[in-house]
Amino acid sequence: MLTTVRLEDTEFEAYVQAGGAVETGDAMPDDYRSALIKFIEMHGNSELMGVLPEREWILRAPTLQRKLALTAKVQDEVGHSQLIYRVVEDLGKPREACLDDLVAGKTKFHNVFHYPTKTWGDVAVIAWLVDAAAIISQKALLKCSYAPYARIMKKICWEESFHILHGRDCILALMTGTDEQRELVQEAVTRWWGPLMQFHGNPIAAEDDPMYRWRIKSQANEDARQQFLDGYVPQIWELGLTVPDPKLRKRDDGVWEYSEPDWDELKHVVTGHGPKTEERLGFRRWSREETAWVRSAVLADAA
Amino acid sequence: MSEEDLIRPAGSRSEGSVPESAQRILELADDELILGWRNSEWTGIAPFLEEDVAFSSIAQTEIGHARAWYELAARQTERGGVDADALAFDRDPDEYRCAPFVETRLVPDWARTIARHWLYETADAIRIEALKASGDPEVAGLAEKIDREETYHRMHADMWADRLRDEARFRGAVDELWPSALGLLEPGQRDRLCEIVGREPVEANERGEHTEELRPLWEEMTMVRRSVPGASW
Repeated sequence: MLTTVRLEDTEFEAYVQAGGAVETGDAMPDDYRSALIKFIEMHGNSELMGVLPEREWILRAPTLQRKLALTAKVQDEVGHSQLIYRVVEDLGKPREACLDDLVAGKTKFHNVFHYPTKTWGDVAVIAWLVDAAAIISQKALLKCSYAPYARIMKKICWEESFHILHGRDCILALMTGTDEQRELVQEAVTRWWGPLMQFHGNPIAAEDDPMYRWRIKSQANEDARQQFLDGYVPQIWELGLTVPDPKLRKRDDGVWEYSEPDWDELKHVVTGHGPKTEERLGFRRWSREETAWVRSAVLADAA
Repeated sequence: MSEEDLIRPAGSRSEGSVPESAQRILELADDELILGWRNSEWTGIAPFLEEDVAFSSIAQTEIGHARAWYELAARQTERGGVDADALAFDRDPDEYRCAPFVETRLVPDWARTIARHWLYETADAIRIEALKASGDPEVAGLAEKIDREETYHRMHADMWADRLRDEARFRGAVDELWPSALGLLEPGQRDRLCEIVGREPVEANERGEHTEELRPLWEEMTMVRRSVPGASW
């Protein structure tokens, strides 16, 4: 039996490696299905948890235009989590189970959403650089072997590219403003640089990464980080901002050198020990408990 | 509102220079701004992801309407130099003209939130209908445009009110909020509201006095803007 399963897995791997697409109703190895659920669920969790660092600043946005734009951005993120959880649901895990596991701390979300947003400068840097880092990973998922996931990524990437424009616009307004405003941006870049460098994960070799073998991911972590550095460090420098890494430079062969990111911090944070992890999960638990009666009432109606 | 009024710090301005028509417009704008602000508190924590998206969307439309009314009020002041943002953020809390009804923080209470949403949208429809007949073509035109968008808010509010009508906590919330809801409208418009929602008139909680909740809301709403006075954002 074991041999048969392995043979099927090998065939499946060859199929997806050759560019084959997998649809919801297709036969697929159990390991592939569980890897998909875990990966896509974490993406949905991240979109949803990413709402919390920004939502409090919707209330503090300094102009009507910024308030509208930030509300729309955060709304997009909730919409993304809705789309993504739907994909997970089709793979066999209901949305309510995903939300229960999230608030119970059983599943993960991206490292950057475990940190506090201290100022309006953080809000601008998140919209510009965190979304830029995220779109690099998400664009690579357009080629994911699981076709329903790849399809929703088109809409998500399109919307995320607007978030970056919004973020850049907030940054430019601050950088062309007063010294205090420029300082807000510099402090935020300094604060977020570490988490940004950890964002794409350890430089694990593609052939050792089952996510890569199944073509769930099609970009190695280090490639994503290099793309981020190449796209954004020149822009950061051009604005007169400093990156808090004395080793950061682009070599003649085009590769960026940088100080080793703190991988222990990354592991610590994503396993639920970030500075804001408990508070944010607690907030979500609280709101989920407070509104549980609404879900019961509506589901009773539907039954 | 004169330019001089605006360069004076918030709180020291008199309202005497603002024409009565602009004052009435500010009531509408302030109601929409503050309710939009309260609705955006649901962002990220609504009972369903779909409702999260819906409330964000409603909050955006309300803030957008507030902006349109503020722009109109700014155009109708004595001289230029005041813009929608200055009216939305740079007045002292006591100068806001919103009704107490919109000021209360209701998260995470969905029953009271839906009760307010339903009563507000129903009352607002009456108010907008009257504005569409305004002798001021700018006011009438804007009311017409806003009414088209509010239609969707009303559909959403009616759907939820219908869904929760048998819930004791929803009925209790409507009872509690009813006097404040009446205060949203001019006295002459209130009978119509009673008729639509099927309730008896009671003494209204009138516009004019603010609740204790407005100042902390204002503090938070303007904290970034006040941190670097006069800056562009």
